[in-house]
Amino acid sequence: MIKQSIIENVLEAALATGGDFSEIFIEDKYVNEYFLQDGKIERSIAGRDFGIGIRIFSGLQSIYTYTNDFSEEGLLAAAKRAALAIKGDESGIIHPLRKEIITPIHQILRMPNTVEHTSKTAIMRQADAIARNYDPRISQVGIRYLDEQQNVLIANSEGKFVEDTRVYSRLSMQATATEGTEVQTGFYGPGAHAGFEFIEQLDLNHYAGEAARIAVTMLHADECPSGKFPVIIDNEFGGVIFHEACGHGLEATAVAKNNSVFANRIGERVAPEIVTYIDDGTLQNEWGSLNIDDEGEKTRKNVLIENGILKGYLIDKFNARRMNAQPTGSSRRQSYRFNPTSRMTNTYIAPGTSTPADIIASTEYGIYAKYMGGGQVSPSTGDYNFAVMEAYIVKDGKIEQPVRGATLIGNGAKTLQLVDRVGNNLAHGAGMCGSLSGSLPVNVGQPMIRVSEITVGGTKGE
Amino acid sequence: MNIAQYQDKLLQQATQAGLTEAEVYYEHKTSFQCTLYEGELDSYETSKDGGLSLRGVYNGKMGYAYTEKVDDDSISFLIDYVKANAEILDEHEDISIFEGSQEYAQHSFYNEELEAVSIPEKIELLRAIEEKIRAYDPRIVTLDYCILQSYSTERTLANSKNLALSHKENGLVLYLSTVVKEGDELKSGSYIKTTRDFHALDVDAIAKNVAEEALANLGEQSIPSSKYPIILRQDAAASLLSTFMTIFSADKAQKNQSLLKGKVGQQVAAETLTLLNVPYHPEALSGSNFDGEGVATKQQAIIANGTLQTLLHNRKTAKKDDCETTGHAQRESYKDSLSIAPQNFYIAPGQNTQDTLIASLSEGVLITHLSGLHSGTNSISGDFSVAARGFHIQDGKIASPVKQMTIAGNFFTLLKDIEAISSDLYFLPNGHGSPSLVVKELAVTVE
Repeated sequence: MIKQSIIENVLEAALATGGDFSEIFIEDKYVNEYFLQDGKIERSIAGRDFGIGIRIFSGLQSIYTYTNDFSEEGLLAAAKRAALAIKGDESGIIHPLRKEIITPIHQILRMPNTVEHTSKTAIMRQADAIARNYDPRISQVGIRYLDEQQNVLIANSEGKFVEDTRVYSRLSMQATATEGTEVQTGFYGPGAHAGFEFIEQLDLNHYAGEAARIAVTMLHADECPSGKFPVIIDNEFGGVIFHEACGHGLEATAVAKNNSVFANRIGERVAPEIVTYIDDGTLQNEWGSLNIDDEGEKTRKNVLIENGILKGYLIDKFNARRMNAQPTGSSRRQSYRFNPTSRMTNTYIAPGTSTPADIIASTEYGIYAKYMGGGQVSPSTGDYNFAVMEAYIVKDGKIEQPVRGATLIGNGAKTLQLVDRVGNNLAHGAGMCGSLSGSLPVNVGQPMIRVSEITVGGTKGE
Repeated sequence: MNIAQYQDKLLQQATQAGLTEAEVYYEHKTSFQCTLYEGELDSYETSKDGGLSLRGVYNGKMGYAYTEKVDDDSISFLIDYVKANAEILDEHEDISIFEGSQEYAQHSFYNEELEAVSIPEKIELLRAIEEKIRAYDPRIVTLDYCILQSYSTERTLANSKNLALSHKENGLVLYLSTVVKEGDELKSGSYIKTTRDFHALDVDAIAKNVAEEALANLGEQSIPSSKYPIILRQDAAASLLSTFMTIFSADKAQKNQSLLKGKVGQQVAAETLTLLNVPYHPEALSGSNFDGEGVATKQQAIIANGTLQTLLHNRKTAKKDDCETTGHAQRESYKDSLSIAPQNFYIAPGQNTQDTLIASLSEGVLITHLSGLHSGTNSISGDFSVAARGFHIQDGKIASPVKQMTIAGNFFTLLKDIEAISSDLYFLPNGHGSPSLVVKELAVTVE
């Protein structure tokens, strides 16, 4: 993308004021996005994102600069501008670049840019028809198609020189149901680190049908009761609760500065024995997967909690310095505009032995969260909140009426201790995670689990 | 590459390639950001970046493409994709590229003095604030966010109808959050300060605000879950309003995605409520003299004394509803197609101080912070159930901070249930603002 000699000059200029590590991240990304609403393709955008991020370390100081001026003068000026932040006298050392060839673990069969636009829009129309035909009360359907091809080149003063291509495909479906003055929505958004083959093979009847079914179901849902209840959270996207409640607290961003309840607790019991929590960027073609992270490190399977014992954190190169630890292939950034840091990839609770039917049958009274919405956490305190998109009351071991407006709040470390059932039906769901280094594709996953008590905020009162 | 020349060349080639009308939008930003951690410079970031988009009519339809690589190769990339994307669309564009308004306001969104402030001066300021906060009280453990951002942005809009508009803005934002501890209780408090006037920043006042915001949360108590009269503090009220901003979009209404559809001229809020849009406000950082299509922006009431005056329109939605555009076409960036959004959008302040509002309640809850707004709100139904932080009010006084709560209700009902409004207007960095509001009641669940 940019000549190797220029890259070497930039890495060197960045260290002229005494930095001890420099890195360049070059990104050239092609994006296609279409949006269908009112039964019509009403928006189509194609674009090319192109830019360069330069990073310098000087001990525990990190300097970042980015630009889309790709001329040698422009890049050298950017490197020098960044180097001004360091006040040393000796230049840092540059190792000769050694080109590393990676063997992609995520095969792409049909590059999106080779697929006719009409093949993409045909699938959007099918999804629209499925959702609309589900029920006459479906009043609006929005289908969003996205494909991205991100080419990256990462080189650093330690001699790393590696290139990769990441391809993402996603189809998001939102259905709105209306009856009288009641309006409710349902959503499903499967995505993968894969080409158009992923979109072609999607079971549209399932995904578009579920989006419509959720919207219609919630039309007649009761208001959710408030209080402290056992909560059963179903598999797949249900894993968002542990993404918020403990995943963020295991990122080095929070741990390195002791801003996490999990800091300095390796080897301690942080969860019941039935809980094993894993982040794995190597899962084939999953939405959060990568061949290499955004520092050029190979992704890997990181066991974070094993049988309830805290085993590890997600660590990037910079925080590794403060923590005196090794990076874990977890450094990510939304684009060249972001200084990379430790982030999740595909994070999930490993399957247990309970069957979903048993978990429900053994619950006297509680809430069953079938589909979760999004959530948020403050890593320093561990306080989290998230919304339930489709919830039901469970009474005497049976799923009863649907309820809406349920929000779960609590403290991540405490909630983790209260997991009392882990099911055997592990599945993963695609989402976008926003944090310091931008918005990133991540998978959250889990089998059905039960937490013995969570505070449920609803509109109905106790 | 000279951008004006590049724009001309692109427009010319686009016309030659068969686009009957075309528009080029260009954005360029210079920014600086630094973070301090325990007295040391932890991160330091500079940037110069931007991009450019081409929007054009091909075979009667409006195609769209952008690039961040401004070179000769990108000209054909943009034109080819505009054509290809136009062909995918189902709708013929009945709105042409805009030829320009008669007159534009001349508000300035750029402060030369701010531009002259050096990076070391900015770092010094942040350092001074950080030191003051850390020394403020022994219960202060650390700052989990101590960030200064400054930026300067230029935008130009040029089209084949000879319209050429430009906009320049700058600003500075401080994001501060501190963690406090007493016994086993760990709390945090955050504060955002936006300004264009660097020299008016008061280090002591800012430090006090951040520290007090966090310290006040110590000593939390549980209160029974129930419906309570609520005071939404200015910043919490602004963030809730901002989340539901899309209900005012005519595009959403036309697509049955807003319950305000068909409500213009009707009472949609309490009489005490007036909601304004202004292109410029001295307290806000955002704003513009023209909208995303090049239409002159203007001051207007969206809700006046509870009655909905208009929805927010661009030229396309205005044509559909047979009315004039209100100048609310929005270009979030060159990467996005046109959408609808206000410029500075705020609830008009009332006469009361926040203390008078508190004194008026025999029992209630003062909400100072909301989180989970992206997931716990439904802008179509208006339902919300979000995590909240705040204080219990008893006998007109603040009694104690309350454990983590959720507040739940419906935004359309809330608008009608506003009973009093304070005078202390606050703007979020995005230009959405509010004073503090007294709301009749909301369901409060306490952890």
